[in-house]
Amino acid sequence: MSFFFVDPETYEKYKDAVLAESQSIQVNYVEHLPPDKRKPGLSDKQIADKLGLDERTVREIRCVGEREFYAIDEYERAAAFKEAQCRAYAEQGLSAITKKYVDRARAAKKGA
Amino acid sequence: MSAPAAEPAEPTAADFKRQLIDLALKSGALTAGVADAAAFTAAPEGHRPTDLLPKAKAVFVVGGAQPRAADWQSPMSSFMEASSTADRINALGLRMANHIERQFGYYALMVPAGIDRGGQPFVSVALAAELAGCGTKSIAGPVLHPEHGFMYYSALITTLNLPVDGPLDEPACPAPQCVEMWEAEGTTPCLATCPIDQGGCLGGRIEDGKIAETRYDRARCTTRAQTYWAPGFQKALGAALDEKDAAKRQMIINSSGFTRTLWSMTYSSVSQSQCFECMRVCPVGHERRELR
Amino acid sequence: MDAKANPETEPNPAGAHPSPEDATAAIKALASKMGGDVCGIAHVRDWDEFVPEGYRPDDILPGCESVVVIGARGPTAGAWRCPDNRIMEVNGYDFANDRAVHVVADFIERTYGFYAMQAPSLPTGGHQPPFSMMLAAVLAGLGTRSFAANIVLNPKFGLLYYSAAFTTLPLSYDGRLEQNVCPHKMCVATYRAVGKTPCMAACDADDGGCLDGTIDANGEIESVYYDRERCSTRSMQFGINSFQNALNEMIAEDDDDTRRMMINSDFVSRSCGAMGYFKDSVAQCFECMRVCPIGREERKLK
Repeated sequence: MSFFFVDPETYEKYKDAVLAESQSIQVNYVEHLPPDKRKPGLSDKQIADKLGLDERTVREIRCVGEREFYAIDEYERAAAFKEAQCRAYAEQGLSAITKKYVDRARAAKKGA
Repeated sequence: MSAPAAEPAEPTAADFKRQLIDLALKSGALTAGVADAAAFTAAPEGHRPTDLLPKAKAVFVVGGAQPRAADWQSPMSSFMEASSTADRINALGLRMANHIERQFGYYALMVPAGIDRGGQPFVSVALAAELAGCGTKSIAGPVLHPEHGFMYYSALITTLNLPVDGPLDEPACPAPQCVEMWEAEGTTPCLATCPIDQGGCLGGRIEDGKIAETRYDRARCTTRAQTYWAPGFQKALGAALDEKDAAKRQMIINSSGFTRTLWSMTYSSVSQSQCFECMRVCPVGHERRELR
Repeated sequence: MDAKANPETEPNPAGAHPSPEDATAAIKALASKMGGDVCGIAHVRDWDEFVPEGYRPDDILPGCESVVVIGARGPTAGAWRCPDNRIMEVNGYDFANDRAVHVVADFIERTYGFYAMQAPSLPTGGHQPPFSMMLAAVLAGLGTRSFAANIVLNPKFGLLYYSAAFTTLPLSYDGRLEQNVCPHKMCVATYRAVGKTPCMAACDADDGGCLDGTIDANGEIESVYYDRERCSTRSMQFGINSFQNALNEMIAEDDDDTRRMMINSDFVSRSCGAMGYFKDSVAQCFECMRVCPIGREERKLK
C-alpha cells in the first residue's frame, strides 16, 4: 500500500474541467462588483459535487494540475522577466514600463 | 511677557547614531558600529552597498547572538549543528531598518541572510562588520570581536549619513596565545584543528605577530558547515536517484542522513552553521565561556 | 496546597465582560502597540455572501462572532529601491501582523475569557488556503481588491500583509470601505491613454504575464483577469513549486552525468535554499506593486 495519489487516467480525463472551475484563473473576484458579474472559483467540494467525483480526488487533480499548469521553463522566463523589469524601473521609472503602450497608442492614432 | 519656548533642535546624525546604538544594545546586541557605504572597494562590483540601495551613505552593523558558554561545553557536536542560529541578530537588524525608516525617515535596507544568484552573498556581512569596527577577520575566516570573539552579524544599508566608526586599529586575530603557539610549533589552535594539508579547510602563516597568509578550502568547509543543508541534501538526492536498485534507493531516502538534511532545510534558521571546530578552540573571547 | 494558576498565562473563563466598544478599542490599541499598521473587525456573517461552506470563520471556530484583522508593511522602503529584484525575494519581513494577532488572541482569552485563535494562513491543499486573509481584510474595511493580482490595497499604505484572529467575543464592526482604492486617478488616466494601467503594463497577460482588466466610464474596475498559476511561477518562483518541477525532470533524466548537473544547478540550489528559508522568501515578485501609485507616498523617504 502506498500513499494516496490520483491515477493518471482519471487525472487526464478531469484535469481541464477541475482547473476551469477552480481558482487558477481568477476573473472578476472583486467584491464590489455586482453578484451577477462576479465569477468566484469553486471549492474542491463544489467542484466534486458538480463533476460527480469525491472531494479528495478533486483536490489531488487540482494540486497536480496547478503544478503542471506551466512547464518548468516558465520559471526561467519568470527570472528573466523580474530581473529586467526591476532594473528598468530603478533606472528609468514608470516610463520604462509604459513606453511601448504609449508608442503603440501614438502609432494607432497616426494610422487612424 | 515670557519669550516663546525655543523649537527643539533638529537631531544630528550623531544623535541618530547614538539612538540606534542604544536601541541595539538594549535589544541584546553585543556590539554595533557604522561603516562607510563607499568603503566596500574590496567587494566585487554588484555586491557593494550602493548596488543594493542607490545613494546609500552608511552601513549599520549589529553583532551578537553568540552560542552560549554552555553550548561550547557540550561534547555532542550535533547539538550546535541543530541549535546555533543567526535568526535573533537578523530579527534585530530588520527591527533597526524599520526604526530608521519609521522614526528617522531615511531609507534602510537590511542585507538579507539569504543568498543571491550563484550562491553569492548580496553584500558581505563579514566585510561590513570589519569596516564598521565590530571585529577583524581571523585566520580561520570568521570576523572576531576583540572581547567577545565569534558572533553573528547583521547589516543594514541606509541613506542616513551616520558618523563612521571605520575598521579597528588592532586585529583580534592572532591572539597572543596563538602567536606563542605559532612560534613554538608552527601552527595555531584553529589551523591545528582543521589543517588544509591534512584534509581540513584552513591554512596560513603568522609573521611578526600578524596574519601574513591565509588559505581556505571553501568547498570542504561547505561539507562541514552545511553538512545537512541544501548541499548535503543535493548530494543525498543524487545518490538516491543514481541508485538503480529499488530496495537500496529506499534505504538512502529513509536514511538518518537524508532525513537530517530535510529537517535542517526546513528549520534552516536554527541550523545554519553546522561546524564550529575552528571556533571552539579559538582563544579570542574564551574567558567569557568559563562559567560554573 | 495547590499551586494557583498564573493569571499571566492561563485562559480566564471568568474574565471581564466588556462592552463591544471597549473591547474593540482595547484590541485595536494592542494591535497598534504590537506593530500592526492597521486593524479592522468584521462580523462572521459577512463571509456568507462570498465564501462556500468549509471556508468560513465559524467552520474553523464554532461559535465565532468576530474576526479581528491586522495588517502590517512588508519590505522596507529602502528594499523597494533596490535595482536587484532578488533583494525583495529573500528580504524577510518582521511579520508584525502575525505577532500582533497572537498577542491579541492571547489577550482576548486571558482578559475576557472568550475563545480566540489565529486564523489559519498556510495552504493545506495545493494553492488553496483554508481561509482567505485578503477577503478578511476587505470585510474588515482595511482595503479593496485591485487589478494587481487581486491584491487588497489599503488607502494609506497600499500593499500590506494580513493576519486574522477568530473570536467568540462580540465586538464593534468596521464594515467595508465605501470608496474603492483601485484604480488610482493616475491609473485611470494611463488606462484612458494607452489601454493599460501601470500594473497591467508591468505584467501584461497579453504578453505572457498575469494581469488584465477594464475600467468603466466612471473610472471604476469593470472587469479583472488574473492568471494565478503564472503568478505563482513568479511570486513563488524558487521553493516548493520549482523543486517539484525540477525533481520530475531529474528523475526522468536517464543520463547520470546530466542528472548530476541538474541536481547541482543554481536553479535547484536556489529552490532548496528558498524552501529552507521560506519565511524569508514568502513573496518573490513585486513588479505589479512596484509600479502601483497607492501607498507610494509612505515609501518616499530621505
